Amino acid sequence: MENKPPLSPHIQIYKWHISSLVSISHRITGIINIIAITFICLLASLLVFGESKYEFIDLFLSSLIGKFFVLGLTWSFSFQVLSEIRHLVMDLGYGFELKTSRMTGLVVIFGSIFFTVVFYLIGKNFL
Amino acid sequence: MVQINLPKNSEIKKGKYFKDKTGSKNLRKINIYRWDPSSGENPRVDTYEVDMDNCPSKVLDILNKIKNEIDPTLAYRRSCAHGVCGSCAMNMAGKNGLACTTPHADIKGDIDIYPLPHLKVKKDLIGDLDGLYKQYQSIEPWLKSNSKSETKEIIQSKEDRAKLDGAYECIMCACCSTSCPSYWWNGDKYLGPAVLLQAYRWIVDSRDEERKARLKKVADELKLYRCHTILNCTSACPKGLNPAKAIAEIKKMLATANI
Repeated sequence: MENKPPLSPHIQIYKWHISSLVSISHRITGIINIIAITFICLLASLLVFGESKYEFIDLFLSSLIGKFFVLGLTWSFSFQVLSEIRHLVMDLGYGFELKTSRMTGLVVIFGSIFFTVVFYLIGKNFL
Repeated sequence: MVQINLPKNSEIKKGKYFKDKTGSKNLRKINIYRWDPSSGENPRVDTYEVDMDNCPSKVLDILNKIKNEIDPTLAYRRSCAHGVCGSCAMNMAGKNGLACTTPHADIKGDIDIYPLPHLKVKKDLIGDLDGLYKQYQSIEPWLKSNSKSETKEIIQSKEDRAKLDGAYECIMCACCSTSCPSYWWNGDKYLGPAVLLQAYRWIVDSRDEERKARLKKVADELKLYRCHTILNCTSACPKGLNPAKAIAEIKKMLATANI
């Protein structure tokens, strides 16, 4: 029997760091945002077809799924923008020290949650 | 290509359990990846109970203890035991590092030891690094000074010499490259942090005359730009170097230079 060498385990065993977590989340939120923007454009173009279609949009956005959709997007956009700024700074060659990158990573994670709450409150006219 | 799951022949089975025979009260469980090329079986994880009262401070000491006192069939690379040769690079508690410089006191709970990630395993903790060495060869890691005399020394200013700090110390242990998800998915084309740090080391060497050619060589979508600043490399480097920053510097040079 031929004995093919196995592949050593990788993502299954490797410990997550703040920097790797932010990096993969940047990609995931990027993909979500592209799909979401397309979807928002479709919703907006429905308006052209008149009031009844608007009611449909309204119904969707006030449903539980719709609310999750809006809140989720607020977060993913906040995350993407903050993380992109972090990437731009890194493209200039700064922020590669372990401590700095961990700190900026944490700023991105908690900042995105902070902005989600802020935008929610603004949307609810609390701010 | 991104393949999250391990191939069928690489799935890890439950292995043997080596119970302590010393009667020590201070025991630690060590889980070690094992694969025997002659067995035809899948890899497994064996568990060893090790008497920590009679064990020096580093993870390599545990491995030596297991090999000497419990199970002589265990295979791993090691040589200098002082963080200089880079032989004992492996994955301990989910992070790459040198077993000889990693204190086991820093690891909480049972200690999981695997070979460097995403390599073809030769035996137990020994991974196949041929691909990485070929890539290292491809960047031509030697001084190229065609016009200068080969019999006289080439003078370098202190400032120019300082540019090599943080790059020349690399011992090519492969901790960084094998910690990089981009290198996992595209290791056949992407050069990876270890090799790119060395490419950088020759690009910034003031005595080298092939700077432009070297830059041109790495200026490639797959060879260089697969670095997405995940920074696993920098956090894995046992010598405290920063390959991610070196890669960013190469990108910057390419963005600003006329090539």
